[in-house]
Amino acid sequence: MDVPETVVLEQEQEEEALISGSEAIAVACKLADVDVITAYPIRPYDTVMQYVAKLVANGELDCEYIVAESEHSQFEIVKHAAAVGARVFCGSSGVGWMYAFEALTVTPALRLPVVAMVGNRALDDPGAFGVEHNDALAVRDLGWMLVWVDTAQEALDTALIAWRVAEDRRVFLPCAIGCDGAFLTHSQSLVRIPPKSKVQKFLPRYDRGDLLLHPDNPITIAPQVNEDWLMEIRKQTDEAMRRAKGVIEEAYRDFENTFGRVYGNPFFEEYQTEDAEVVLVGMGTLSMPVKVAVRQMRQKGKKVGFVRIRWFRPMATQELQACLSRFKAVGVIDRDFSLGSPYMSGVLANDIRSVLYSASARPAVVGFICGLGGREVTVPDVRQMVEILEKAASGEPVEPTYWIGLRE
Amino acid sequence: MERSYAVEIVYRGIFQKNLAKNIARGIVLAARREGKVGIAFGRYGDSPERNGIPAKQFAIVAPNEEILQESMAQYEPKEVDVTIVLDDTLCKGVESWAWYGLQPINKLLKPGGTLIVTSLLEPDELIKFIHRKPYEYNLAIVKGAASFSGLWVYKDDHTDVRVLGAVARVAPEMVSLGSIQQMILREWKNELKATSAEKSYSRITMRKVLPHEGNPEEPYSFVLPRWYEMREGIAIPAIPVGGKYNEEGGFAATPNPYFKKFSTRTMRPVVDFDKCVKCTLCWLQCPDTCYNVTPDGYYDVNLDTCCGCGVCEAVCPVDGCITMIHETNFTDHKSQWKMWKQDKQAYAKWVDELRRSRPPRSHGFQYRGQYEKELASIAEER
Amino acid sequence: MSTQTQVLEPFKGVKKVPLEEYFTAGHRTCQGCESALVMKLMVKAAGPRTIVLGSTGCMYVANTTYYSTSWVVPWMHTQLGSSGSAALGTAAGLKALMRKGKIKEEPINVIAFCGDGGGADMGLSAISAALTHSEYNFLILLYDNESYANTDIQVSGLTPWGAHTTFSPPGSMRRILHRRWKKNVAGMLAAGHPECRYVATVCASYAVDMMNKVRKALSIGGPTFIHSIDPCPKGWDYDPMLSHELGELAVLTGVWPLYEVENGVLKLYGKTKAIAEGRQKRLPVREYLLRQGRFAHFTDEDIEYFQSKIDEMWEKWLIPGVIPFRKELEKELEKEE
Repeated sequence: MDVPETVVLEQEQEEEALISGSEAIAVACKLADVDVITAYPIRPYDTVMQYVAKLVANGELDCEYIVAESEHSQFEIVKHAAAVGARVFCGSSGVGWMYAFEALTVTPALRLPVVAMVGNRALDDPGAFGVEHNDALAVRDLGWMLVWVDTAQEALDTALIAWRVAEDRRVFLPCAIGCDGAFLTHSQSLVRIPPKSKVQKFLPRYDRGDLLLHPDNPITIAPQVNEDWLMEIRKQTDEAMRRAKGVIEEAYRDFENTFGRVYGNPFFEEYQTEDAEVVLVGMGTLSMPVKVAVRQMRQKGKKVGFVRIRWFRPMATQELQACLSRFKAVGVIDRDFSLGSPYMSGVLANDIRSVLYSASARPAVVGFICGLGGREVTVPDVRQMVEILEKAASGEPVEPTYWIGLRE
Repeated sequence: MERSYAVEIVYRGIFQKNLAKNIARGIVLAARREGKVGIAFGRYGDSPERNGIPAKQFAIVAPNEEILQESMAQYEPKEVDVTIVLDDTLCKGVESWAWYGLQPINKLLKPGGTLIVTSLLEPDELIKFIHRKPYEYNLAIVKGAASFSGLWVYKDDHTDVRVLGAVARVAPEMVSLGSIQQMILREWKNELKATSAEKSYSRITMRKVLPHEGNPEEPYSFVLPRWYEMREGIAIPAIPVGGKYNEEGGFAATPNPYFKKFSTRTMRPVVDFDKCVKCTLCWLQCPDTCYNVTPDGYYDVNLDTCCGCGVCEAVCPVDGCITMIHETNFTDHKSQWKMWKQDKQAYAKWVDELRRSRPPRSHGFQYRGQYEKELASIAEER
Repeated sequence: MSTQTQVLEPFKGVKKVPLEEYFTAGHRTCQGCESALVMKLMVKAAGPRTIVLGSTGCMYVANTTYYSTSWVVPWMHTQLGSSGSAALGTAAGLKALMRKGKIKEEPINVIAFCGDGGGADMGLSAISAALTHSEYNFLILLYDNESYANTDIQVSGLTPWGAHTTFSPPGSMRRILHRRWKKNVAGMLAAGHPECRYVATVCASYAVDMMNKVRKALSIGGPTFIHSIDPCPKGWDYDPMLSHELGELAVLTGVWPLYEVENGVLKLYGKTKAIAEGRQKRLPVREYLLRQGRFAHFTDEDIEYFQSKIDEMWEKWLIPGVIPFRKELEKELEKEE
């Protein structure tokens, strides 16, 4: 492609910084010129608000920064700010996210583009700070877009994409960015920070049009309905989620053209899958140990690969089916649980089974519950999973679900 | 009895909730005495009830469980054998608070079915309010004023058992008077109530209603839009702010076009403009924003929207300026101010006549001991 | 700048009240619904450049049934416990957008209303938090019909002692099931939020006073709070035409004191002032209670107990009707007596 001969100004330059995933998202708030942000403390997500508070205190971020008295209020406040046309950011973790649940459930049908960070954390009881995905996954059926990232760089980029997609009139749905507690929220890595001018190009103004709550546009929002209406309203939200898929693809293409960073397939990342016979599927930061293990096993001649899901909602059903049905066996690593669900698997495993059901060639699917409560997913863990997968691939009988890394 | 029977009870929300419940339960429990099965239920969409706003309860009776299941409905049955109307002003049609448009009172009534109305009027006086049916049906009148009480204190004036007696008369295959009386003795342990049921059974007035009889108007109805025709984000346009009452000025509020509320009304305010001192209180204190301001500073009630609460009469400082008059005295929603402007003598005469036919206020609890007093006087009448 | 508020001078008498209506006919409330009247007067007082947030309750469910609304001004639903957060979020959004020049600079009234359930029970924490955010301008109006009226009349934190509700029916064993005394919400919020510039109690039976309190609350700026007592013909069980009269009786019996706390200064007003200054005698609560079916099960002892609690409020409280505690000194003096 031909490079346009424009003079690259100083302020057009990218900068490199050593920051955590939380800090990266705080920087994204500044670049996106967010209008209203609400904070309430809970580990590990609150680190993002600590950075936001610094940015506000130093005049680097011009927003209404409100420390709420509960997560419920946190999400209600940004919900209403979004209704009058403000770009908003919020977030939580674990039981905090659950405390806000009422506010979370009403936001999608209102079509309010709230962007939130979930610092994934195990749900009480007992209290635990470590990562589990059950918190964010709890909204998976309600109209929230859900995306998981695995590096600070991806966290920053995905936040910008999240506003772009959520605030698109064709979508107008909230979006939560899953960031694994500790591994992503608390560890710092080198991140390329794009210049604000480019972000402004990529991220247009949030325009609510005829849905804006303002005296110049007198409307009544969310009147009570009965059985004559609710199905039609649910269908509208369903259509928005269907449209979101195309808008996400659009946004990633545009992101690449604007910032030059290439993600390829927006919905999931394939790692060494070309000639693979068995693959592991997972979300979030467990990608690191899995990739290391995959490399080691390939040196020993094992045909193994890895698929990391980014967008869990909307799920790229056709693309995932086309990809996964190429393999003999698929192992799904769940950093969550879905007690009593089919095969006693995790949430992701059950979704992947359903994705593959209509495939002409259906690989064996094995569920691996692993890394709960922040426990590390280790290279030996991954090797153990692959051994089970190889059995499954060669037609030997295996269990539908294994707990890996459990003391037995 | 080979088939199932459906009865609907149309009543004034809250004021007659317990009364309607007694009747619906009474029908099923009485039929049970004959070995039949049945269900009694309130229309889910009417809950939470608003006082005065029309609501419905249903009783369905069948010879066995299978036939009963075929006739069950979540909201309301498609057709009924008997429609019971516990307040005759409901004959003008009902607008449920959770639905759209006006339902004729006999909408669900089958050919040959019976409309039972508690009323002091004669059949012909009632029929002029009732929307026409393309087929013949029966009208039965249980003589008496509408029985209103509140949510907590029940006025036991025997209206429940008197209606049940009438039901046994018009649908004996469904339930006999004997079973009704057995049920009364079993549930209420009250001989007097059993006697009231029997009296009413023998005393009701019946009359056939022919297709050409009744109110020829087509009631306002509402067409539900498709999902993609609705604005997203659960947003609907606000009501436009009102404008002048007429070219000379004043102010008229724009009412909600989809819910009129007049079918909630049992009495309407009649304003004697010659007495009005323009104190503004009726206009200011009306919870339903019904009073429009005329160019000459009077207050003209919008009868499409007035629900007849009577607050305006209560706050009016001038004796006899605003009087609540029973709704069966009227067949239209004409502007009273315009009538007055047209011919003040005629208007004064009209108001004077209406005031003479002013009914006692019957909208439930006013002070402790009130119902006991009222019951005593009713006992004397009978 | 966006921190400015609209200047809303008090209506000088009923003849000066504007004709325009911003909450209009065709809502689905009960006959004689006083809360509907409160909605009407509230936005009449606020005027057209106003956004209203309504939390779940009668004034949500009964006033807006989809495709159908009674609101002329922009209106949005909020959750039962969210009136405080809804007001705060709306005001913060407008402030940010105006400061950054993203929308036209202008003072827009923000009013969030809640019922007694949403305000005094579930929403109290969010309202309390909202009242500490003095940099935002909004009014929270609590319409108090003394029960969860929309769900068919259940006990709330503001239901009077002994009242009959679907959660507190008088039974053969226990005549009085509801034995909690009504919370003193306005007093609590005024005392607990020193930065809050305006708290008032109102009764729509005194319409001009009520509207002028709303206008003052919106003009004075910062987060403000108004608590309105709303007779409820359905839940209190009385003839709808008596709504106005029962509002008056609540004030005249001293059950509902009318006062405002403006920049920390307490002022009694209306009939309450007359009672406090001895220009008018408090009516016995019996006249108020026995007009309502919800108290029809009361014995004379119950009525006397109720009366004694009201007397206490007027005779023993540090500030009658507002601050419930007494000074230790006074208590000691009593002992000596």
